[in-house]
Amino acid sequence: MLAELFILVICASILVSGILAVSLRGLMAAMISAGLASLFAAVSYVLLAAPDVAMAEAAIGAGLSTLVFLYAIRKTNAGKE
Amino acid sequence: MADTILLFAGLLILLSIVLSVLRLVLGPTMVDRVVAIDTLTVISLSLVALYAHLSGRFVYLDVALVYGLLSFLAVLALARFLEKGR
Repeated sequence: MLAELFILVICASILVSGILAVSLRGLMAAMISAGLASLFAAVSYVLLAAPDVAMAEAAIGAGLSTLVFLYAIRKTNAGKE
Repeated sequence: MADTILLFAGLLILLSIVLSVLRLVLGPTMVDRVVAIDTLTVISLSLVALYAHLSGRFVYLDVALVYGLLSFLAVLALARFLEKGR
């Protein structure tokens, strides 16, 4: 019962942060929301019993791609509204 | 007794996920959103650890370990960018 409730809340959070990543104005806020969608995707992979996929998603999707996006925004000087 | 404690912890984790996502949606400044993603990192780590105990498969704790190391770096880089960037 509790596991299904976990999966429902996590999938709703993926939906909310995906919509927010598209609709927010600032570049950094959109990048944070995209990283958060990736984080919730990693948690939902754990809840769906795929721990190796969740480990790859947490390392690459949530950790590394956020850093790469941050580096790109800093290089292009576009984060200043 | 232990089942009651685990159920209560799971309900608290669900409530805190909802509240932190609400702060992410509503947050007017960037600092609110960075604090929200930091809080959600810790909450999801505890969710993975709780689910590792509930399902009895302790290989899930490796996911929590890897994510705990990497998300620290991401939040640190975000805070450094907020301090220097603008």
